[in-house]
Amino acid sequence: MGEPLAAQRVTLPGPFPVGRYAKTLREELRKRARVQLIGEVTGLRRTAKQAYFELRDSEGAVPCTIWADELDRLGLPDGALRDGAEFVAAGGPDYFIGSQASSPAFSFRVTQLRPAGEGDLLARLQALRKQLRAEGLFELQGRLARPLLPKAIGVVTAESGAARRDLVAGLERRGWRGTLVWGFAPVQDRHAAPAIAAAIQDLAARPEVDVIVVTRGGGSLADLWAFCDETLCRTVAMLRVPVISAVGHERDSTLIDDVAAVACSTPTHAADAAVPLDVDAARDSLGRCAATLRRVGAGAVAARTPHLVSLARGPGRALQRERVGLNQKTREIRAASERGIAERLGLQRRVATVVLERALARAVGPDLERRRESLRRAAVALRAHEPERTLERGYALVEGDDGEPLTSAAEARAAGDVKLHFSDGQVGAKVKPPAADAGASEQDSQGS
Amino acid sequence: MSASEREQSTRAEFDSYEAAVERLEQIIDRLDSGQAGLRETLELCREGRDLVTYCAAELDEVGESLKELRLDELAAKLDQGRLTD
Repeated sequence: MGEPLAAQRVTLPGPFPVGRYAKTLREELRKRARVQLIGEVTGLRRTAKQAYFELRDSEGAVPCTIWADELDRLGLPDGALRDGAEFVAAGGPDYFIGSQASSPAFSFRVTQLRPAGEGDLLARLQALRKQLRAEGLFELQGRLARPLLPKAIGVVTAESGAARRDLVAGLERRGWRGTLVWGFAPVQDRHAAPAIAAAIQDLAARPEVDVIVVTRGGGSLADLWAFCDETLCRTVAMLRVPVISAVGHERDSTLIDDVAAVACSTPTHAADAAVPLDVDAARDSLGRCAATLRRVGAGAVAARTPHLVSLARGPGRALQRERVGLNQKTREIRAASERGIAERLGLQRRVATVVLERALARAVGPDLERRRESLRRAAVALRAHEPERTLERGYALVEGDDGEPLTSAAEARAAGDVKLHFSDGQVGAKVKPPAADAGASEQDSQGS
Repeated sequence: MSASEREQSTRAEFDSYEAAVERLEQIIDRLDSGQAGLRETLELCREGRDLVTYCAAELDEVGESLKELRLDELAAKLDQGRLTD
Protein backbone atom coordinates (compact mmCIF):
# COMPACT_ATOMS: atom_id res chain seq x y z
CA MET A 1 0.00 0.00 0.00
CA GLY A 2 1.28 3.53 -0.85
CA GLU A 3 1.55 6.44 1.51
CA PRO A 4 -1.57 8.56 2.06
CA LEU A 5 -1.98 11.23 -0.58
CA ALA A 6 -1.71 14.03 1.95
CA ALA A 7 1.69 12.77 3.15
CA GLN A 8 3.08 12.67 -0.43
CA ARG A 9 1.96 16.18 -1.01
CA VAL A 10 3.94 17.27 1.97
CA THR A 11 7.24 15.32 1.47
CA LEU A 12 7.91 15.27 -2.37
CA PRO A 13 9.16 18.32 -4.31
CA GLY A 14 7.19 19.82 -7.16
CA PRO A 15 4.91 19.55 -8.93
CA PHE A 16 7.12 20.61 -11.88
CA PRO A 17 5.98 21.27 -15.42
CA VAL A 18 6.72 18.02 -17.30
CA GLY A 19 8.40 19.64 -20.30
CA ARG A 20 10.92 21.36 -18.06
CA TYR A 21 11.49 18.06 -16.20
CA ALA A 22 12.05 16.25 -19.51
CA LYS A 23 14.67 18.72 -20.56
CA THR A 24 16.39 18.43 -17.18
CA LEU A 25 16.38 14.67 -17.51
CA ARG A 26 17.90 14.93 -20.99
CA GLU A 27 20.66 17.15 -19.66
CA GLU A 28 21.37 14.71 -16.81
CA LEU A 29 21.64 11.78 -19.18
CA ARG A 30 23.86 13.63 -21.61
CA LYS A 31 26.28 14.29 -18.75
CA ARG A 32 26.87 10.54 -18.28
CA ALA A 33 30.18 9.13 -19.44
CA ARG A 34 30.49 8.22 -23.07
CA VAL A 35 31.18 4.44 -23.51
CA GLN A 36 31.36 1.69 -26.06
CA LEU A 37 28.74 -1.04 -26.11
CA ILE A 38 28.98 -4.38 -27.90
CA GLY A 39 26.05 -6.49 -28.92
CA GLU A 40 24.00 -7.89 -31.74
CA VAL A 41 22.12 -5.50 -34.00
CA THR A 42 18.41 -6.19 -34.09
CA GLY A 43 15.34 -4.34 -35.32
CA LEU A 44 17.29 -2.16 -37.73
CA ARG A 45 15.24 0.50 -39.53
CA ARG A 46 16.26 3.66 -41.28
CA THR A 47 14.57 6.97 -41.96
CA ALA A 48 15.85 9.95 -43.88
CA LYS A 49 17.24 11.49 -40.72
CA GLN A 50 18.20 8.61 -38.48
CA ALA A 51 18.79 4.90 -38.17
CA TYR A 52 17.23 2.97 -35.31
CA PHE A 53 18.24 -0.41 -33.93
CA GLU A 54 18.77 -2.30 -30.71
CA LEU A 55 22.02 -3.63 -29.42
CA ARG A 56 21.22 -6.84 -27.63
CA ASP A 57 22.83 -9.74 -25.87
CA SER A 58 21.45 -12.49 -23.69
CA GLU A 59 21.14 -10.25 -20.66
CA GLY A 60 19.42 -7.24 -22.11
CA ALA A 61 19.21 -4.57 -24.78
CA VAL A 62 19.55 -0.85 -25.34
CA PRO A 63 17.69 1.14 -28.04
CA CYS A 64 20.17 2.99 -30.23
CA THR A 65 19.92 5.86 -32.72
CA ILE A 66 22.44 7.33 -35.11
CA TRP A 67 22.04 10.32 -37.39
CA ALA A 68 21.86 9.30 -41.01
CA ASP A 69 24.63 11.64 -42.11
CA GLU A 70 26.94 10.34 -39.36
CA LEU A 71 26.21 6.80 -40.39
CA ASP A 72 27.02 7.58 -43.99
CA ARG A 73 30.29 9.21 -43.00
CA LEU A 74 31.38 5.95 -41.26
CA GLY A 75 31.67 4.32 -44.69
CA LEU A 76 30.53 0.88 -43.55
CA PRO A 77 30.42 -1.74 -46.32
CA ASP A 78 27.04 -2.35 -47.84
CA GLY A 79 25.01 -4.75 -45.76
CA ALA A 80 27.46 -4.70 -42.87
CA LEU A 81 24.96 -3.10 -40.56
CA ARG A 82 22.26 -5.71 -40.50
CA ASP A 83 20.21 -7.66 -38.06
CA GLY A 84 22.25 -10.32 -36.33
CA ALA A 85 25.56 -8.57 -36.87
CA GLU A 86 27.79 -7.94 -33.89
CA PHE A 87 28.65 -4.26 -33.59
CA VAL A 88 30.47 -1.97 -31.26
CA ALA A 89 28.64 1.35 -30.73
CA ALA A 90 30.25 4.34 -29.07
CA GLY A 91 28.12 7.13 -27.59
CA GLY A 92 26.04 7.95 -24.59
CA PRO A 93 22.50 8.01 -23.30
CA ASP A 94 20.14 10.60 -24.63
CA TYR A 95 16.53 11.46 -24.23
CA PHE A 96 14.20 12.72 -26.91
CA ILE A 97 11.66 14.87 -25.18
CA GLY A 98 9.04 14.37 -27.84
CA SER A 99 7.28 16.81 -30.13
CA GLN A 100 3.84 17.58 -31.43
CA ALA A 101 4.16 14.67 -33.88
CA SER A 102 6.31 12.14 -32.03
CA SER A 103 6.49 10.47 -28.67
CA PRO A 104 9.34 10.97 -26.22
CA ALA A 105 11.92 8.17 -26.12
CA PHE A 106 15.12 7.16 -24.46
CA SER A 107 17.99 6.04 -26.70
CA PHE A 108 21.72 5.49 -26.78
CA ARG A 109 22.94 8.16 -29.14
CA VAL A 110 25.58 6.50 -31.31
CA THR A 111 28.38 8.62 -32.70
CA GLN A 112 30.76 5.86 -33.75
CA LEU A 113 29.79 2.42 -35.04
CA ARG A 114 31.95 -0.50 -36.24
CA PRO A 115 31.51 -4.20 -36.71
CA ALA A 116 32.72 -6.09 -33.69
CA GLY A 117 36.27 -7.38 -34.28
CA GLU A 118 37.73 -10.70 -33.22
CA GLY A 119 39.24 -9.02 -30.24
CA ASP A 120 35.89 -7.68 -29.10
CA LEU A 121 34.20 -11.03 -29.51
CA LEU A 122 37.05 -12.91 -27.89
CA ALA A 123 36.84 -10.62 -24.88
CA ARG A 124 33.13 -11.35 -24.58
CA LEU A 125 33.72 -15.03 -25.17
CA GLN A 126 36.38 -15.12 -22.51
CA ALA A 127 34.10 -13.51 -19.96
CA LEU A 128 31.28 -15.88 -20.77
CA ARG A 129 33.58 -18.88 -20.75
CA LYS A 130 34.89 -17.91 -17.34
CA GLN A 131 31.39 -17.61 -16.01
CA LEU A 132 30.12 -20.94 -17.35
CA ARG A 133 33.24 -22.75 -16.20
CA ALA A 134 32.79 -21.32 -12.72
CA GLU A 135 29.28 -22.71 -12.72
CA GLY A 136 30.62 -26.17 -13.56
CA LEU A 137 28.77 -26.35 -16.86
CA PHE A 138 31.81 -27.59 -18.79
CA GLU A 139 31.88 -30.91 -16.96
CA LEU A 140 28.29 -32.08 -17.16
CA GLN A 141 28.24 -33.41 -20.73
CA GLY A 142 31.63 -35.08 -20.27
CA ARG A 143 30.13 -37.30 -17.59
CA LEU A 144 27.50 -38.76 -19.89
CA ALA A 145 28.11 -42.24 -21.26
CA ARG A 146 28.39 -42.27 -25.04
CA PRO A 147 27.25 -45.44 -26.78
CA LEU A 148 29.85 -47.37 -28.74
CA LEU A 149 27.28 -48.21 -31.37
CA PRO A 150 24.44 -45.67 -31.53
CA LYS A 151 21.36 -46.74 -33.49
CA ALA A 152 20.07 -43.22 -34.15
CA ILE A 153 22.02 -39.97 -34.35
CA GLY A 154 20.40 -36.54 -34.19
CA VAL A 155 22.13 -33.86 -36.24
CA VAL A 156 21.69 -30.09 -36.04
CA THR A 157 23.12 -28.31 -39.04
CA ALA A 158 22.22 -26.18 -42.03
CA GLU A 159 20.16 -28.08 -44.56
CA SER A 160 22.30 -26.99 -47.48
CA GLY A 161 25.68 -26.93 -45.80
CA ALA A 162 28.75 -28.93 -46.76
CA ALA A 163 28.93 -30.06 -43.13
CA ARG A 164 25.87 -32.23 -43.69
CA ARG A 165 27.48 -34.00 -46.63
CA ASP A 166 30.80 -34.45 -44.83
CA LEU A 167 29.12 -35.93 -41.79
CA VAL A 168 27.20 -38.50 -43.86
CA ALA A 169 30.39 -39.41 -45.72
CA GLY A 170 32.22 -39.84 -42.42
CA LEU A 171 29.50 -42.12 -41.06
CA GLU A 172 29.52 -44.18 -44.26
CA ARG A 173 33.28 -44.61 -43.91
CA ARG A 174 32.69 -46.06 -40.43
CA GLY A 175 30.36 -48.58 -42.04
CA TRP A 176 27.51 -47.03 -40.02
CA ARG A 177 24.13 -47.06 -41.73
CA GLY A 178 21.67 -46.48 -38.90
CA THR A 179 19.07 -43.76 -38.53
CA LEU A 180 19.85 -40.06 -38.91
CA VAL A 181 17.34 -37.55 -37.56
CA TRP A 182 18.00 -34.17 -39.11
CA GLY A 183 17.24 -31.06 -37.10
CA PHE A 184 17.90 -28.40 -39.72
CA ALA A 185 18.46 -24.87 -38.39
CA PRO A 186 20.03 -21.62 -39.50
CA VAL A 187 23.60 -21.48 -38.31
CA GLN A 188 24.58 -17.83 -38.75
CA ASP A 189 22.00 -15.16 -38.13
CA ARG A 190 20.34 -13.78 -35.05
CA HIS A 191 17.74 -16.56 -35.24
CA ALA A 192 20.41 -19.24 -35.27
CA ALA A 193 21.09 -19.72 -31.57
CA PRO A 194 17.43 -20.09 -30.48
CA ALA A 195 16.67 -22.35 -33.46
CA ILE A 196 19.71 -24.53 -32.75
CA ALA A 197 18.80 -24.77 -29.07
CA ALA A 198 15.21 -25.73 -29.97
CA ALA A 199 16.37 -28.39 -32.43
CA ILE A 200 18.76 -29.87 -29.87
CA GLN A 201 16.01 -30.03 -27.28
CA ASP A 202 13.58 -31.63 -29.73
CA LEU A 203 16.15 -34.25 -30.74
CA ALA A 204 17.01 -34.99 -27.13
CA ALA A 205 13.32 -35.54 -26.45
CA ARG A 206 13.18 -38.37 -28.99
CA PRO A 207 13.88 -41.65 -27.16
CA GLU A 208 15.59 -43.32 -30.11
CA VAL A 209 18.26 -40.62 -30.42
CA ASP A 210 21.44 -41.84 -28.70
CA VAL A 211 23.73 -38.91 -29.49
CA ILE A 212 23.43 -35.46 -31.06
CA VAL A 213 25.89 -33.82 -33.44
CA VAL A 214 25.89 -30.04 -33.88
CA THR A 215 27.92 -28.98 -36.86
CA ARG A 216 28.61 -26.25 -39.38
CA GLY A 217 31.53 -25.27 -41.57
CA GLY A 218 34.23 -22.76 -40.82
CA GLY A 219 33.93 -18.97 -40.68
CA SER A 220 34.95 -15.96 -38.69
CA LEU A 221 34.20 -15.84 -35.01
CA ALA A 222 31.40 -13.43 -35.85
CA ASP A 223 29.97 -16.03 -38.25
CA LEU A 224 30.18 -18.66 -35.56
CA TRP A 225 28.92 -16.38 -32.86
CA ALA A 226 25.58 -18.16 -32.57
CA PHE A 227 27.46 -21.12 -31.16
CA CYS A 228 28.75 -18.91 -28.36
CA ASP A 229 25.25 -17.99 -27.31
CA GLU A 230 24.90 -18.29 -23.59
CA THR A 231 21.38 -19.71 -23.63
CA LEU A 232 22.29 -22.30 -26.26
CA CYS A 233 25.38 -23.32 -24.31
CA ARG A 234 23.46 -23.62 -21.06
CA THR A 235 20.88 -25.77 -22.87
CA VAL A 236 23.57 -28.10 -24.19
CA ALA A 237 25.30 -28.32 -20.83
CA MET A 238 22.13 -29.42 -19.05
CA LEU A 239 21.11 -31.98 -21.68
CA ARG A 240 21.03 -35.66 -20.73
CA VAL A 241 21.94 -36.78 -24.25
CA PRO A 242 25.61 -36.42 -25.23
CA VAL A 243 26.28 -33.63 -27.73
CA ILE A 244 29.20 -33.66 -30.13
CA SER A 245 30.13 -30.27 -31.52
CA ALA A 246 31.96 -29.72 -34.79
CA VAL A 247 31.69 -26.01 -35.42
CA GLY A 248 34.14 -24.20 -37.67
CA HIS A 249 37.64 -25.46 -38.19
CA GLU A 250 40.45 -26.51 -35.94
CA ARG A 251 41.48 -22.95 -35.09
CA ASP A 252 37.94 -21.90 -34.18
CA SER A 253 36.87 -22.35 -30.63
CA THR A 254 33.28 -21.62 -29.77
CA LEU A 255 31.62 -21.85 -26.41
CA ILE A 256 29.54 -24.85 -27.43
CA ASP A 257 32.83 -26.76 -27.80
CA ASP A 258 33.44 -26.17 -24.11
CA VAL A 259 30.10 -27.44 -22.91
CA ALA A 260 29.70 -30.34 -25.35
CA ALA A 261 30.67 -33.91 -24.47
CA VAL A 262 33.17 -33.94 -27.33
CA ALA A 263 34.48 -31.07 -29.48
CA CYS A 264 35.65 -31.98 -32.96
CA SER A 265 37.39 -29.89 -35.58
CA THR A 266 35.44 -31.16 -38.59
CA PRO A 267 32.18 -32.97 -39.39
CA THR A 268 34.24 -36.01 -40.41
CA HIS A 269 35.81 -36.16 -36.98
CA ALA A 270 32.36 -35.71 -35.49
CA ALA A 271 31.25 -38.84 -37.37
CA ASP A 272 34.10 -40.78 -35.77
CA ALA A 273 33.19 -39.45 -32.34
CA ALA A 274 29.49 -40.17 -32.78
CA VAL A 275 30.19 -43.77 -33.77
CA PRO A 276 33.32 -44.77 -31.83
CA LEU A 277 33.05 -48.26 -33.27
CA ASP A 278 34.34 -48.91 -36.77
CA VAL A 279 31.39 -51.06 -37.79
CA ASP A 280 33.15 -52.86 -40.66
CA ALA A 281 36.18 -53.61 -38.48
CA ALA A 282 33.88 -54.72 -35.66
CA ARG A 283 32.14 -57.11 -38.04
CA ASP A 284 35.50 -58.62 -39.02
CA SER A 285 36.54 -58.85 -35.38
CA LEU A 286 33.26 -60.53 -34.48
CA GLY A 287 33.82 -63.04 -37.26
CA ARG A 288 37.22 -63.87 -35.79
CA CYS A 289 35.65 -64.25 -32.34
CA ALA A 290 33.06 -66.61 -33.76
CA ALA A 291 35.80 -68.63 -35.50
CA THR A 292 37.81 -68.79 -32.27
CA LEU A 293 34.77 -70.02 -30.38
CA ARG A 294 34.07 -72.67 -33.01
CA ARG A 295 37.70 -73.79 -33.00
CA VAL A 296 38.01 -73.84 -29.21
CA GLY A 297 34.60 -75.47 -28.82
CA ALA A 298 35.44 -78.26 -31.25
CA GLY A 299 39.03 -78.53 -30.04
CA ALA A 300 37.97 -78.74 -26.41
CA VAL A 301 36.54 -82.18 -27.10
CA ALA A 302 38.94 -83.23 -29.85
CA ALA A 303 42.05 -82.37 -27.83
CA ARG A 304 40.82 -84.46 -24.98
CA THR A 305 39.66 -87.35 -27.14
CA PRO A 306 42.95 -89.35 -27.19
CA HIS A 307 43.20 -89.10 -23.44
CA LEU A 308 39.54 -89.96 -23.05
CA VAL A 309 39.93 -92.87 -25.42
CA SER A 310 42.93 -94.02 -23.43
CA LEU A 311 40.96 -93.68 -20.24
CA ALA A 312 38.03 -95.44 -21.83
CA ARG A 313 40.27 -98.35 -22.83
CA GLY A 314 41.68 -98.66 -19.31
CA PRO A 315 38.65 -100.35 -17.81
CA GLY A 316 38.42 -102.60 -20.87
CA ARG A 317 41.99 -103.75 -20.43
CA ALA A 318 41.49 -104.25 -16.72
CA LEU A 319 38.33 -106.22 -17.45
CA GLN A 320 40.18 -108.35 -19.99
CA ARG A 321 42.88 -109.13 -17.45
CA GLU A 322 40.25 -110.00 -14.90
CA ARG A 323 38.42 -112.09 -17.48
CA VAL A 324 41.55 -114.09 -18.29
CA GLY A 325 42.21 -114.60 -14.59
CA LEU A 326 38.65 -115.63 -14.02
CA ASN A 327 38.75 -118.09 -16.91
CA GLN A 328 41.90 -119.64 -15.50
CA LYS A 329 40.32 -119.93 -12.11
CA THR A 330 37.18 -121.33 -13.67
CA ARG A 331 39.20 -124.01 -15.39
CA GLU A 332 41.03 -124.81 -12.18
CA ILE A 333 37.79 -124.93 -10.26
CA ARG A 334 36.22 -127.13 -12.92
CA ALA A 335 39.16 -129.50 -12.85
CA ALA A 336 39.14 -129.58 -9.09
CA SER A 337 35.45 -130.04 -9.14
CA GLU A 338 35.69 -132.91 -11.60
CA ARG A 339 38.31 -134.55 -9.41
CA GLY A 340 36.11 -134.09 -6.40
CA ILE A 341 33.15 -135.49 -8.27
CA ALA A 342 35.20 -138.49 -9.41
CA GLU A 343 36.35 -139.10 -5.88
CA ARG A 344 32.88 -138.73 -4.63
CA LEU A 345 31.66 -141.04 -7.38
CA GLY A 346 34.28 -143.67 -6.42
CA LEU A 347 33.27 -143.44 -2.82
CA GLN A 348 29.68 -143.57 -3.81
CA ARG A 349 30.36 -146.58 -5.97
CA ARG A 350 32.17 -148.33 -3.14
CA VAL A 351 29.40 -147.52 -0.77
CA ALA A 352 26.88 -148.67 -3.32
CA THR A 353 28.75 -151.95 -3.82
CA VAL A 354 28.77 -152.67 -0.14
CA VAL A 355 25.16 -151.71 0.08
CA LEU A 356 24.32 -153.83 -2.92
CA GLU A 357 26.31 -156.74 -1.60
CA ARG A 358 24.55 -156.42 1.66
CA ALA A 359 21.25 -156.06 -0.04
CA LEU A 360 22.13 -159.03 -2.22
CA ALA A 361 23.16 -161.05 0.79
CA ARG A 362 19.91 -160.16 2.37
CA ALA A 363 18.05 -160.97 -0.79
CA VAL A 364 19.80 -164.32 -1.41
CA GLY A 365 19.97 -165.48 2.26
CA PRO A 366 17.85 -168.72 1.94
CA ASP A 367 19.86 -170.18 -0.98
CA LEU A 368 23.25 -169.50 0.50
CA GLU A 369 23.77 -172.77 2.26
CA ARG A 370 22.83 -174.69 -0.81
CA ARG A 371 25.22 -172.67 -2.92
CA ARG A 372 28.02 -173.26 -0.42
CA GLU A 373 27.52 -176.99 -0.50
CA SER A 374 27.60 -176.96 -4.24
CA LEU A 375 30.77 -174.94 -4.15
CA ARG A 376 32.35 -177.36 -1.79
CA ARG A 377 31.61 -180.21 -4.08
CA ALA A 378 33.00 -178.44 -7.00
CA ALA A 379 36.16 -177.79 -5.05
CA VAL A 380 36.53 -181.45 -4.26
CA ALA A 381 36.07 -182.34 -7.93
CA LEU A 382 38.54 -179.70 -8.94
CA ARG A 383 41.05 -180.88 -6.38
CA ALA A 384 40.83 -184.48 -7.80
CA HIS A 385 42.18 -183.10 -11.05
CA GLU A 386 45.11 -181.18 -9.60
CA PRO A 387 48.64 -182.49 -10.71
CA GLU A 388 49.71 -182.83 -7.08
CA ARG A 389 47.10 -185.52 -6.69
CA THR A 390 48.65 -187.46 -9.58
CA LEU A 391 52.18 -187.06 -8.16
CA GLU A 392 50.91 -188.45 -4.86
CA ARG A 393 50.02 -191.52 -6.77
CA GLY A 394 53.72 -192.08 -7.90
CA TYR A 395 53.97 -190.01 -10.97
CA ALA A 396 56.64 -187.29 -11.66
CA LEU A 397 56.37 -183.99 -13.55
CA VAL A 398 59.29 -183.16 -15.87
CA GLU A 399 60.09 -179.46 -16.38
CA GLY A 400 62.73 -177.70 -18.35
CA ASP A 401 65.07 -175.04 -16.88
CA ASP A 402 62.52 -172.43 -17.78
CA GLY A 403 59.87 -174.13 -15.60
CA GLU A 404 57.79 -175.24 -18.60
CA PRO A 405 56.48 -178.85 -18.39
CA LEU A 406 58.21 -181.25 -20.83
CA THR A 407 55.66 -183.65 -22.14
CA SER A 408 57.73 -185.75 -24.62
CA ALA A 409 61.06 -187.59 -24.79
CA ALA A 410 62.12 -185.38 -27.59
CA GLU A 411 61.53 -182.23 -25.48
CA ALA A 412 63.49 -183.91 -22.65
CA ARG A 413 66.39 -184.67 -24.93
CA ALA A 414 66.35 -181.27 -26.37
CA ALA A 415 66.33 -179.69 -22.92
CA GLY A 416 69.22 -181.75 -21.63
CA ASP A 417 68.92 -180.62 -18.01
CA VAL A 418 65.51 -181.16 -16.52
CA LYS A 419 63.71 -180.94 -13.18
CA LEU A 420 61.69 -183.88 -11.88
CA HIS A 421 58.81 -182.93 -9.55
CA PHE A 422 57.73 -185.60 -7.12
CA SER A 423 54.96 -185.30 -4.57
CA ASP A 424 57.52 -184.76 -1.84
CA GLY A 425 60.02 -182.54 -3.71
CA GLN A 426 62.05 -182.08 -6.88
CA VAL A 427 65.40 -183.27 -8.21
CA GLY A 428 67.56 -182.20 -11.14
CA ALA A 429 68.40 -184.73 -13.88
CA LYS A 430 70.48 -184.78 -17.05
CA VAL A 431 69.04 -186.64 -20.05
CA LYS A 432 71.42 -189.21 -21.57
CA PRO A 433 71.60 -190.42 -25.20
CA PRO A 434 69.21 -193.36 -26.07
CA ALA A 435 71.93 -196.15 -25.89
CA ALA A 436 72.49 -195.62 -22.30
CA ASP A 437 68.91 -194.92 -21.50
CA ALA A 438 68.38 -198.27 -19.64
CA GLY A 439 70.03 -197.40 -16.39
CA ALA A 440 72.62 -194.88 -17.04
CA SER A 441 70.82 -191.73 -16.09
CA GLU A 442 72.76 -189.64 -13.73
CA GLN A 443 70.72 -188.22 -11.01
CA ASP A 444 71.46 -185.35 -8.80
CA SER A 445 69.37 -185.46 -5.76
CA GLN A 446 68.07 -182.02 -4.93
CA GLY A 447 65.94 -181.26 -1.86
CA SER A 448 62.65 -179.44 -2.47
CA MET B 1 16.77 -73.51 -21.89
CA SER B 2 15.84 -73.07 -25.52
CA ALA B 3 17.92 -71.01 -27.95
CA SER B 4 15.34 -68.21 -27.99
CA GLU B 5 15.12 -68.12 -24.21
CA ARG B 6 18.90 -68.05 -24.02
CA GLU B 7 19.02 -65.19 -26.49
CA GLN B 8 16.44 -63.26 -24.47
CA SER B 9 18.44 -63.89 -21.35
CA THR B 10 21.58 -62.63 -23.07
CA ARG B 11 19.76 -59.57 -24.35
CA ALA B 12 18.53 -58.82 -20.87
CA GLU B 13 21.96 -59.23 -19.40
CA PHE B 14 23.80 -57.21 -22.04
CA ASP B 15 21.65 -54.24 -22.88
CA SER B 16 24.45 -52.58 -24.82
CA TYR B 17 26.84 -53.61 -27.52
CA GLU B 18 29.84 -52.49 -25.49
CA ALA B 19 28.87 -54.64 -22.49
CA ALA B 20 28.43 -57.65 -24.76
CA VAL B 21 31.76 -57.07 -26.49
CA GLU B 22 33.54 -56.61 -23.18
CA ARG B 23 32.18 -59.93 -21.94
CA LEU B 24 33.07 -61.58 -25.24
CA GLU B 25 36.66 -60.36 -24.93
CA GLN B 26 36.81 -61.74 -21.39
CA ILE B 27 35.61 -65.09 -22.69
CA ILE B 28 38.15 -65.17 -25.53
CA ASP B 29 40.96 -64.23 -23.11
CA ARG B 30 39.90 -66.98 -20.75
CA LEU B 31 39.73 -69.54 -23.54
CA ASP B 32 43.08 -68.42 -24.95
CA SER B 33 44.66 -68.82 -21.52
CA GLY B 34 44.00 -72.56 -21.79
CA GLN B 35 43.16 -72.67 -18.09
CA ALA B 36 39.48 -73.43 -18.49
CA GLY B 37 38.42 -77.01 -17.95
CA LEU B 38 36.22 -78.89 -20.40
CA ARG B 39 32.92 -77.99 -18.75
CA GLU B 40 33.88 -74.31 -18.37
CA THR B 41 35.20 -74.23 -21.94
CA LEU B 42 31.96 -75.57 -23.34
CA GLU B 43 29.92 -73.17 -21.17
CA LEU B 44 32.06 -70.23 -22.30
CA CYS B 45 31.75 -71.27 -25.93
CA ARG B 46 27.97 -71.45 -25.60
CA GLU B 47 27.81 -68.03 -23.91
CA GLY B 48 30.26 -66.65 -26.47
CA ARG B 49 28.15 -67.89 -29.37
CA ASP B 50 25.08 -66.19 -27.85
CA LEU B 51 27.04 -62.97 -27.52
CA VAL B 52 28.29 -63.19 -31.09
CA THR B 53 24.68 -63.64 -32.23
CA TYR B 54 23.60 -60.64 -30.18
CA CYS B 55 26.47 -58.44 -31.39
CA ALA B 56 25.93 -59.49 -35.01
CA ALA B 57 22.26 -58.49 -34.71
CA GLU B 58 23.31 -55.13 -33.25
CA LEU B 59 25.75 -54.57 -36.11
CA ASP B 60 23.11 -55.57 -38.63
CA GLU B 61 20.81 -52.88 -37.23
CA VAL B 62 23.29 -50.21 -38.35
CA GLY B 63 24.66 -52.06 -41.33
CA GLU B 64 21.81 -52.29 -43.80
CA SER B 65 21.01 -48.85 -45.22
CA LEU B 66 21.09 -45.32 -43.92
CA LYS B 67 17.64 -44.13 -42.84
CA GLU B 68 17.12 -40.36 -42.80
CA LEU B 69 14.33 -38.62 -40.90
CA ARG B 70 13.57 -34.91 -40.57
CA LEU B 71 12.74 -33.50 -37.19
CA ASP B 72 10.24 -31.03 -38.67
CA GLU B 73 8.40 -33.85 -40.46
CA LEU B 74 8.37 -35.96 -37.31
CA ALA B 75 6.97 -33.00 -35.37
CA ALA B 76 4.33 -32.45 -38.07
CA LYS B 77 3.32 -36.11 -37.91
CA LEU B 78 3.12 -35.85 -34.15
CA ASP B 79 0.89 -32.78 -34.41
CA GLN B 80 -1.25 -34.52 -37.02
CA GLY B 81 -1.60 -37.50 -34.71
CA ARG B 82 -2.70 -35.26 -31.91
CA LEU B 83 -5.27 -33.55 -34.13
CA THR B 84 -6.72 -36.85 -35.32
CA ASP B 85 -6.88 -38.06 -31.72
